[in-house]
Amino acid sequence: MSDKNLNNPDTNDLDRIHAAVVREKADLPAAGRPAPMWAIFVGLLVAVIGGGELGNALGYFNIESSPKLGMISDPRASAGGAGATLDPFALAMKKGATSYAVCGGCHQASGAGVPGQFPPLAGSEIVLGGTEQLARIALHGLTGPVTVKGQNYNMPGGMPPQGIAMSDGDIANVLTFIRNNWGNEGSMVTKEMVAKVRDTEKSRTTQWTMAELEKFAKANIPGDVPAGPGVPDPAAKK
Amino acid sequence: MQNEASTADQNADNLRRAAIDRSVKGPVLFLFTNAAFWLMASTLMGFIAAVKLVSPGFMDWGSWLTYGRLQPAHIDALVYGWGIQAGLGVALWLMARRTAVVLKGGQGTLITLGVLWNIAVTVGIFGILGGGNRSIEWLEFPQGVWPVMLGIFVVYAFKIVSMAAKPDRTEGFMVSTWYILAACLFFPWIFITANSLLNNMELGALGAAINSWYVHGVILLFFVPIGVGSAYYFIPKITGQPIHSAQLAQMGFWMLVILGGWTGMQRYIGGPLPAWMPSIGAMAGVLLLIPVGVVGLNHHLTTLGQHSQVGSSPTLRFTFFGALFYPVSGLVLALLSASWSGMALQFTHAWYGYQIVAVYGFFSMCVFGAIYYIVPRLAGCEWLSVRLIRNHFWFSVYGIGTIVVTSVVGGIQHGGGLNDVANWNSSFWGVVMNSRPYISARAVAWALILWSNFWFLIHLMLMVAGLGRRSSAPTLLSHDHEDLPVTEGAKA
Repeated sequence: MSDKNLNNPDTNDLDRIHAAVVREKADLPAAGRPAPMWAIFVGLLVAVIGGGELGNALGYFNIESSPKLGMISDPRASAGGAGATLDPFALAMKKGATSYAVCGGCHQASGAGVPGQFPPLAGSEIVLGGTEQLARIALHGLTGPVTVKGQNYNMPGGMPPQGIAMSDGDIANVLTFIRNNWGNEGSMVTKEMVAKVRDTEKSRTTQWTMAELEKFAKANIPGDVPAGPGVPDPAAKK
Repeated sequence: MQNEASTADQNADNLRRAAIDRSVKGPVLFLFTNAAFWLMASTLMGFIAAVKLVSPGFMDWGSWLTYGRLQPAHIDALVYGWGIQAGLGVALWLMARRTAVVLKGGQGTLITLGVLWNIAVTVGIFGILGGGNRSIEWLEFPQGVWPVMLGIFVVYAFKIVSMAAKPDRTEGFMVSTWYILAACLFFPWIFITANSLLNNMELGALGAAINSWYVHGVILLFFVPIGVGSAYYFIPKITGQPIHSAQLAQMGFWMLVILGGWTGMQRYIGGPLPAWMPSIGAMAGVLLLIPVGVVGLNHHLTTLGQHSQVGSSPTLRFTFFGALFYPVSGLVLALLSASWSGMALQFTHAWYGYQIVAVYGFFSMCVFGAIYYIVPRLAGCEWLSVRLIRNHFWFSVYGIGTIVVTSVVGGIQHGGGLNDVANWNSSFWGVVMNSRPYISARAVAWALILWSNFWFLIHLMLMVAGLGRRSSAPTLLSHDHEDLPVTEGAKA
């Protein structure tokens, strides 16, 4: 950016100063070859596809025309009726089926467990027994020996607690799901019920053992059951 | 070296071109050097921002260095510090050369305005880092700097356009001139429209649409024309082949100019806007495949059989790969625009991928090519080191390639995860966590680019300081500092 180059005896060589300019090739005007035919056809094809995008704007530049809401499908609506219209039990079953992915790794998608390692959920007396016991196992896990359907299980480490990662609603849905799938039938577990147990046991940091849980084996968590099995039966409510 | 041109004419022409180079030397070198500084800064911020997206605790030195401030500062430094500044430098030199106009006076003004531009960008970047981000994409700078930047741009654009208005030579169809003119004329329009609307009115949802239109406009009507114009100039210049087809060149130009301003609003497909707005944008985004493909085809047909020169000439190598990234950027834009794919990609990492492939992969690579050609002519010395140029090239290509691929693939997964019906009640967090490998790759890629830019900056500063190689032979990539006779080395 300065003229100091000119004072440098090394740069007085005009050939060298202008070498870059001298070695340049001339600017050439563009050649007159026509566009290849196939390029025009491909262009037309793209134009047709591009025009298809206008299909969404059927309003002819009408500012009143709003986006077609149908373009964005409501995932809840797509699986048989809007979520709001499902009765609470059916909704809990649907959401629970999704959340069951967490449990299915050990207890299997069939709910049959793995003989000698993971107890089954299908037909399990714990699953179908008192919800006080079941909710505690789900929230804080279970360790030590357990007998399900006449088989003994004692997995090292036991079942890990799920209450940290899953919300009350998730746990309620998945409990409702396992109590009413694979031929099981049991009363619905609600979010409020799980919250109640979580609150009662909020100081609990270790997994349960079956011995500790014995007093909860038959007890159901108090609370309203809005729908599903057991609703007509007033005994199941309490 | 045309045989029919007499030696006297040839000499007069050489002297004329040397005089043109001397007349624009100050402003152009000033713009290039400062732009390279901003590129370095932008790359550094891009690297830190990418790392922070994976581990937010990295460099936890206070609120000014958080992701939310670094990311816009990174993009704005890339766009205003590097992109527009270097683009103006290339445009000024190219237009002077194409019109054969020697810039008479005003160099001091241009350099002063360049200083002001850099002050404005500095104020803007520090404004963002200091918490003054206005949350308008690509317009995050504090409000006061925009009129200053507009004024500076208009003066530069006026200089460039007035050269074209009174050219000292008349030739037929000059493709690169058209593109440079388009860039100079379009940018003020986009800039004024977006700023006057977004700064002064309560627009609600429409504000977002205008903002998106602005970003697409700057890319398609400033960065693309400068990049394509530069490629259209340097590819024939170095290969010695005329542009394959003037007809294709015209198609590519006019379709870009007509369609460019219609894009942008497709970003809010399904949003609270009148239905025609996103649809028109989607249509234009897909239709842009035509001009992009046409230009790509034209460049391909022009370089056909000349690929050995891509290996030897640094300018041609950068320009060739920049021109190769142009169709790639068009394809990514079409994917983001078309309603069937845009629905999945609209708010994902793919959008970042598009900005980077357009502004860095395509535009910046073309500008690097131009800088490798222009600077030796202005600085009066040759590039010092083949190794540094190679290093710059390969680290840039691999870095940009990585960012583009991971952003688009990550975007497909990101958007697919967000839109998947089966995920409707699972937590958003899971989708965010799934994109971490892609962001890690982005951080690695920015580190590679940082390395390449560091040496590019050093190399460029040495050249501007006049410390380049004293030789009459160009620095070619396939001969290590071999001094060729002037007539044979007609490549760089």
